[in-house]
Amino acid sequence: MNRTLVRILLILIAVAAVALPAFAGDYPLQVARNIMLYMALAISWDMLLRSGQISFGIAGLFGIGAYAAILGVVRAGMPTWLSIPFAAVFAALVAFLIGFVILRLRAMYFSIVTLALGEIFRIIVHNLHDFTGGPEGVVMQQGVMFGGNASKLYWLVLAGLLVAIAASYWFEKSRIHFALTAIRNNEISAKSSGVDIFRWLLLAFVVTSAIQGMLGGIFVMSYGFAAPDVVFSADFTLLPLAMALLGGVYSTRGPIFGAILLGLVAEWLKLKIPYGHLVVYGIMIIIVILFMPQGLKNLLKPAAKRAEGRSA
Amino acid sequence: MGPSLRRHNLNIQAVKMAIKQRKAIIFAISIATAVVLILWKPTVLIYGLQAAGLYAAVAIPMGLVLGIVHIVNLSHGEFMMLASYATYTVCRALGVDPLIALIPAALVTALFGWVVFQLTIRRALKAPELNQLILTFGLAIAFSQIINLIFTSQTYKLSLEYSSMSLDIGDLSFGVWSFVFVAVAVIYAVGLQMFLTKTRTGKAALAVGQNPKGAAIVGIDVYRTYGLVFALAIGLVGAMGALFLTKSAIFPGVGSPFTMKSFSLVAMAGIGNIPGILGASVLLGLAENFLRSFRGTRDWAEIVYFVLIIAVILSRSLKGKKS
Amino acid sequence: MKRMMLVLAVLVLFAGSAFAQGTTKLEGTIKLGGIWTLADITGKQGSAAAQLAVDEINAAGGVLGKKLELIVVDDEGKADKAAAAVEKLATVDKVDVFVGGMASGAELGKIPAFKKYGKVVMSTGAAGSATVEKALGPSPESDFYFHLHPWDYNQGASYAEGWDAIQKKYPQIQIKKIFLAYEEGAFGKSSWDATKVLFGSDKRYTIDGASFKSALLGGGDYTAVLEAAKAFKPDLFIWAGYDADALPMLEQAKAMKFSPGIYLGAPPGWPIGFGSSKLARNVMLYGMWSPAINDINPVSAKFYKNYIAKYREEPATYFAPLAYSAVYIVAEGIKAAGTTETGPLVKALEQTKYVSPLGEVITFKPSNIIKHQGITRQKILQWQNGIQEVIWPFETATAEPVYPFPAWK
Repeated sequence: MNRTLVRILLILIAVAAVALPAFAGDYPLQVARNIMLYMALAISWDMLLRSGQISFGIAGLFGIGAYAAILGVVRAGMPTWLSIPFAAVFAALVAFLIGFVILRLRAMYFSIVTLALGEIFRIIVHNLHDFTGGPEGVVMQQGVMFGGNASKLYWLVLAGLLVAIAASYWFEKSRIHFALTAIRNNEISAKSSGVDIFRWLLLAFVVTSAIQGMLGGIFVMSYGFAAPDVVFSADFTLLPLAMALLGGVYSTRGPIFGAILLGLVAEWLKLKIPYGHLVVYGIMIIIVILFMPQGLKNLLKPAAKRAEGRSA
Repeated sequence: MGPSLRRHNLNIQAVKMAIKQRKAIIFAISIATAVVLILWKPTVLIYGLQAAGLYAAVAIPMGLVLGIVHIVNLSHGEFMMLASYATYTVCRALGVDPLIALIPAALVTALFGWVVFQLTIRRALKAPELNQLILTFGLAIAFSQIINLIFTSQTYKLSLEYSSMSLDIGDLSFGVWSFVFVAVAVIYAVGLQMFLTKTRTGKAALAVGQNPKGAAIVGIDVYRTYGLVFALAIGLVGAMGALFLTKSAIFPGVGSPFTMKSFSLVAMAGIGNIPGILGASVLLGLAENFLRSFRGTRDWAEIVYFVLIIAVILSRSLKGKKS
Repeated sequence: MKRMMLVLAVLVLFAGSAFAQGTTKLEGTIKLGGIWTLADITGKQGSAAAQLAVDEINAAGGVLGKKLELIVVDDEGKADKAAAAVEKLATVDKVDVFVGGMASGAELGKIPAFKKYGKVVMSTGAAGSATVEKALGPSPESDFYFHLHPWDYNQGASYAEGWDAIQKKYPQIQIKKIFLAYEEGAFGKSSWDATKVLFGSDKRYTIDGASFKSALLGGGDYTAVLEAAKAFKPDLFIWAGYDADALPMLEQAKAMKFSPGIYLGAPPGWPIGFGSSKLARNVMLYGMWSPAINDINPVSAKFYKNYIAKYREEPATYFAPLAYSAVYIVAEGIKAAGTTETGPLVKALEQTKYVSPLGEVITFKPSNIIKHQGITRQKILQWQNGIQEVIWPFETATAEPVYPFPAWK
């Protein structure tokens, strides 16, 4: 592997991503926005997964961020740009508080509790009619951010994605990586070798929740409304999960590939088979997972490494 | 050696005593709750139990799969939906009652479950365990969307006299048909417990569930057992699909909420604890219906469902930590 | 490395082929972009009915010497997919006019893109005034948007009007107490809000209500809400939910011996074979259209006949005739304007007087916020012998009401 070549290629891709609005129409930009949003969610889910904790609470934190942002703007007169970091901080705070309790759980017990918490958030938002707008939702009177300018909205989501990628690389390259991997592989030996498990888990949970909350904020600012069944939709949990798993977990590029694949295929199928595209979509997920059990990212590894990965 | 062993025995006895005491306390509380409810809010008891029966009857097969095959089957509810549509089609074509189709529906869905297991899930068992999650997610999408293509999203419902069967006690009139779900839930729980502890196949399945490698060493065909258990569970869900048709309208998305509900109940009871699913369902069914019976708390009834799930899971995990 | 390049290249090619190439372009057609939720029966039949209207108009010579072309994109009921659908139709297919719409959540995703392009939108759905109408905003910025479907408050007002008229004409029908069982989502909640305001304001009626979780959204237990209703003893019992709730709720009501004077449902569609159930007898309903209108309205009869001839199925929801009407209104507007330019087309559409299959003449008038509101009246109907008969408005009535709702034997 030629490292410089890879670097040059990565820089080229990054430049292309930033410059996309210069040569792409509004439709590809809109599709790219949808894909990047799910991509960032998939990356954030994978980041926590590296500790072995499977969260089903993405939609819950996404929804919390979404409502924090829009209520900040509508009820407290917050500037729209500020509402997005506010959403991140708010979700982080919620994650910090609940993390103290629920991060003691493992395996499916953790999963189900994160799912239940997401439902609880949804019901609270749903029932506080006067403050949140109730089941009908709430609309930003001034319309969407940047007056609906396609390029600027694209860059907004791209910025959110870059935050997620940067955080993921930080997780991969720093001590966090060893701590989380140690917890995943063998919690007891990790503990005995001096890893403060709870502290690392809490850090990972708070950071990933902040990212999910921020993305919720970006979502509502770019569509100008929030409704409980839209922002707490199970899609925001299941699709990122599917993308990360199809792309290959415990990495940054796995979720990226998975999101590109599922996102493009979904949009393409929708245009080609207007009635019934979801059947093909489901069958494709089944086939990919059966024939590429390690995910797509494995396709990119040199043959020797792949063989090694298979035996491991 | 001697004293420590004795202390160990004492400990076990103390634990057994504690468990007995706890069981007695739980029993007493349940009886007291039931008496209070009968006198004060009889409808809460009636409808709470009916709801609990439906929850439990669908969740128990999932508990079986989770306990032995160790997969979270995200297409659990979709199997029930498929069975409902199959039963509906047969009942409309032949003019028979869904209750007559109950056993055939169970057999056909069991066979279908076995085929799906062999074609897909079996292959994913060797892969990282998360793959099974996403595989069954794909199955769920495919199943519900195929049905949507064939039957559209319009709902179907059989009109049956006995679904609105009624009983009067004093001023109170209530539907009794839904008690059938309570009966099924109890039959499922007791039947499975007997199957797992009394029969040869059941014991083998239990052994595979607890230690697949060990079971393989003593000569049990692990994958065959997985396939059988999966097919059995899907068959039980299939029977529920036929029965569900007597109460509810069906549409492509009718099964999916049951997947998450069942998953929650199984987690609440603890993996491998099938009778516990009954208890968890009764607790949730009563609590939900209790809150629904007051004007002020009506809208918050759903939240108690999730709060209880979290509370039970957390309290059990904390207790586990202490001992 | 080569592998990586290969995979990247394949993905790029794939993306290119999917998004650069539009649909088959016919030269010199007037293009309508249709957006519906195609996996749902409303969108499936709505888009089919719109295509039927396009075929009929083309067979009759088209518009301004050109053929109409309908390009349909699925919004999957999701805001982000709906936004992408608008962008695709606007920039790749370059459609002249948009039609379609059903759920408010998806409609809200489209509105920013609609505003960006400012092309005429003939909307067939989205009743939520608290969100959709607010997001559209006042005239003139929302003048491109023609909202055919009544808003929630229009519906509420027309029911209040309808029940007043019915009580006046049929003195045996007396309504004092109204109970509304509403599904807990946006649809039910907005019905409840509208009912409280329009029936409860002048103290002539006593109103109560309770929410339930629709079977469509994972609920389906109506015992608590029916207990509350039974305790209230209403003269008029209304449930606002979905078709999946229709029969199970009736069965539950029968089991509980709850028999109000009028039992009325307000779902967007009814389950297959509802009319053939014994329990359905004399159940009343709110709606916009039923096949019974064929007997008194030739446009409806023609629509019905042609729809069945083309698709070999019954139009099961009013979204079919509504989408059919949307295409005809747009076609007539373009004819009158002589162009598809937004300015003149909006002017022409303001003069619309379309005799619709829904049994009324559609015109556009201002509503609370926007300037172009089409239908404001719903109908009150009753299931009689398996058919939805129109009871009110009296000018489109097809039968007399049967009262009271039979007490359970």
